[in-house]
Amino acid sequence: MRQLRAALARIAGAFRTPDADDDMRAEMEAHLEMDVAENVRRGMPPDEARRRALLAAGGLTQAVETVRDQRGLPWVEGLIADVRYALRSLRHAPAFTTVVVITLALGIGANTAIFSVVRGVLLKPLPHREGDRLVYLRQSADGRGEQNLNFSVPEVRDLRSAVPAFGGIAEYSPWTMIYQSREGAARVNVGLVTGNYFDVMGLSPVLGRVTKPSDDGPGAPAVAVLTYDYWMNRFAGDSSIVGKQITLDKKSVTVIGVLQPAPFFPNRVDVLANMVNSDHHLSAQMVENRVHRMTEVVARLAPGATLEQARLQTAAQYARLQGQYKEVYAAASHYRIAVIPFHEALGERARLTLLLLMGAAGFVLVIAVANVANLTLMRGVRREHELVVRAALGAGVARLRRLLLAENLTLTLMGAVLGVGIAIGGVRLLISFAARYSSRASEIQLDTAVLGFTLALSVVVALVLSFLGALPREGRLASWIAAGARRVSGSVHKHRLQRALVTTQIAASVVLLAAAGLLIRTMIQLSEVSTGLRTEEVLTMNVTLLSPAELLFNPMADVAAKARYERMRRDVAALPGVIEAGIGSPLPLHSSQVAFPVKVEGKALAVGEAIPQAELRTASPEFFRAAGIPVLAGRAFESTDGPTSAKVVIVNRTFADRFFPHEDPVGKHIAWTGEILKFTPVTGDWRTIVGVVGNTQDGGLDAEPRLAVYQPFSQFLALGGGLVIRADSNVDALTAAATRIVRRVAPTAPIEQVMTIAQIKDQSVAPRRLNAALLSSFGILAVIIAAVGIAGVLAFSVSARTNEIGIRMSLGADRGRVQRMILKEGGVLLAVGLVIGVAGAFFASGVMRGLLFGVAPHDPATFVAVAILMLAIGLAACWIPALRAARIDPAITMRST
Amino acid sequence: MADKLDVQQGTLALMILRTLDVLGPLHGYGIARRIEETSRNRLTLNYGTLYPALLKLEQEGAIKAEWRQSENNRRAKFYTLTAAGRKQLARELREWQQTADLIASFLAPKREA
Repeated sequence: MRQLRAALARIAGAFRTPDADDDMRAEMEAHLEMDVAENVRRGMPPDEARRRALLAAGGLTQAVETVRDQRGLPWVEGLIADVRYALRSLRHAPAFTTVVVITLALGIGANTAIFSVVRGVLLKPLPHREGDRLVYLRQSADGRGEQNLNFSVPEVRDLRSAVPAFGGIAEYSPWTMIYQSREGAARVNVGLVTGNYFDVMGLSPVLGRVTKPSDDGPGAPAVAVLTYDYWMNRFAGDSSIVGKQITLDKKSVTVIGVLQPAPFFPNRVDVLANMVNSDHHLSAQMVENRVHRMTEVVARLAPGATLEQARLQTAAQYARLQGQYKEVYAAASHYRIAVIPFHEALGERARLTLLLLMGAAGFVLVIAVANVANLTLMRGVRREHELVVRAALGAGVARLRRLLLAENLTLTLMGAVLGVGIAIGGVRLLISFAARYSSRASEIQLDTAVLGFTLALSVVVALVLSFLGALPREGRLASWIAAGARRVSGSVHKHRLQRALVTTQIAASVVLLAAAGLLIRTMIQLSEVSTGLRTEEVLTMNVTLLSPAELLFNPMADVAAKARYERMRRDVAALPGVIEAGIGSPLPLHSSQVAFPVKVEGKALAVGEAIPQAELRTASPEFFRAAGIPVLAGRAFESTDGPTSAKVVIVNRTFADRFFPHEDPVGKHIAWTGEILKFTPVTGDWRTIVGVVGNTQDGGLDAEPRLAVYQPFSQFLALGGGLVIRADSNVDALTAAATRIVRRVAPTAPIEQVMTIAQIKDQSVAPRRLNAALLSSFGILAVIIAAVGIAGVLAFSVSARTNEIGIRMSLGADRGRVQRMILKEGGVLLAVGLVIGVAGAFFASGVMRGLLFGVAPHDPATFVAVAILMLAIGLAACWIPALRAARIDPAITMRST
Repeated sequence: MADKLDVQQGTLALMILRTLDVLGPLHGYGIARRIEETSRNRLTLNYGTLYPALLKLEQEGAIKAEWRQSENNRRAKFYTLTAAGRKQLARELREWQQTADLIASFLAPKREA
């Protein structure tokens, strides 16, 4: 309490008025007078009396100073004075200050913005209770090219009973349902969860309640918990929603609560519901079939258990299962299970990109700081005189250092303020960028932790800047003073430091440019990949007439739906400008979730070969023509391929190449196969191949095309359906008319993925383009700063060597020679920087291998181009100071010496 | 002069508080004189020692200061003990006593030996 009160008084004292000093002086003078009077009273002569009193006082001014220190906070006042002085001296160097502050702002701003993303997506603790104890289970089968298979209910059951290191295992099955409201229908992402899900995840409701184990089982009432984002977006945060009924897949569900904001994996989710909401999830297929894998599994480590224990126990149980069900876990498919901390799973897609960007931002900062350091060093040389005078007047090294620190802190903090301004703008862009990689993008913000990072960064930069230059040291003070007003340096040390800084800048710029170059080439390569479609004048739209649940349990609905799809197709095809319209599912350039094991008549699998899986796609007779997918052999479907006629299929080129490398696939027979068919509407009948079509880049432009088998739209359930519309030109303009037709036929069906082929393609390239754009802007920034840096250092070198150059010229060196000399000086720096930079880029590009497509990490063309670019810019930057050196007039220079 | 002592900050605060407790409101000169006399001139207080100590006590709220006329009609700043100051004095006296006892018992056996 006492200390607090004293501290407050001192802080107040730090802002004291000059009156306080006068007051103290008056008090002391009164004291002195009383002392003098007393001495006189004792019989001393007045002079002696005053002398004795002053002696006892011990120096009035010193006393006032001591009291002043006690009154306020001397070091703060010192700092304030230093900062005030720094501001004053910076005001006298506006060009220097502007350049330094802007340079630092760019460096600090870039780092602040990127760090805010890294923190939001990778570093921030999860909002889940004890989120670091959450794990995500992943089953994969590399032999089948499956990175994430999910789990079946029997598998989860087996794990649950055998891994004591898990305190709880929760199931989460992603599902889509149609949400019906007065305004229309929309597809919502539903997570069907077991009752223990929220307890395991450590998530609480902000309103109402979440599900409990009592909500499990077929007898429980259907309930739903809204995610925070969905509640805010769809229901505008209406708190009266709890207890109300909503309609999902035409069934009534009670909303029991709203969940706290939390990231989901692998995908965003709108509604979390208990299993009873989906008949499918209660069916024997779901509950009994070991290969019916549509459940994500999250678990919480039991108290005291470690991740390592959980991994061992899980692996042991999985090995047991593999031994027990050999037919399910074929050895050739390389089934594996992994236990991954949940926060790692959330961040894994973003990590590489973010680390790359953080590294790039770091390089930009290094370049910026190097530049500022150079400017400060040059300024320092001009200030040596001032510093020497100060040292001579008694300022110690520490005092001078503090002065420099105050000045550099002032600069970096101004840079930081401006940088945070830049970052605020940047973060908005980066959130949409990061949303492509992580569901935690919404957590990105410039919070106190990020600002703390910025502040720490600024202080570190200020410290580095303050300790780079040499100061007149006590021991060497004499020599400094002796040198007096003349330039003390020319100091080899300082010169070497400047060169090292410029070399660093060039090297770092080369690394950044190379990385940017590789990403740009990746982007170009990607956009040059053929989609497999002959034209881009194609509009697609997905129309969902029936939910999966309705289809699976109601054959009549399927017939009616197909009739409606055909009506839409006919009406759209009749629109002016439309060349052809087709129906199919999934739409071209969208990957299919539906893939089954497939066998070919007369072809046995090699021993140990994994059973191949092919995508099942459907197409109407007009589909291929409308989409511009070439028929390479045989024929397209025809209207005669009806529901009751012979079962026919068309395969894609990959399929034909894989199974019929040297023969004609047309007329051959294939069939779906495997245990899984028992639980699906797919039949294992032999089907005749009637045609081969070209591959389409359904999994993205950078993905290898998968095996695909098309069935006639009429010969398979209308699990989904979409329109593919080809126009003679400007297909965009058809969107409104086509949508109107679909609305007329199906007023409440969700219409999605309304995009032209050009847009789909663009979307596939977009993340890469953003990567490239970000890194390129960093690279350009770096090169500009580095060019300014090298030009500045050379210019300084020229002005420091004016005398020398003057002498050379008067001794017969011509202008060309002088110019070459300076260019050579810059050229050496450039060359060294280039060599180091290329070596660094060689190393760095290996790290970013995963982000590249169609270009090798050590692509020689990119490296050469980057080197030439850097060299050209560097030489251009050297040219100006070299020209100035050549213009030196020896007569004038010599005279002024 | 050899037996003149420097005062430590802590003890000086105690002396000031005690002086004000005994004599009532007093100016800096009066406090200094009183302390010097009490110490039989073994202590001298120059301004640089006395006034920071007074300011510190004032900041801590143990004393308060105001300008008044002195006994011989001079203007001087008078210091008065506050209620908090009285409490602080009592506490510091107690602590001082304890320390003194402790030191005394440390030194005692040697004297006996």
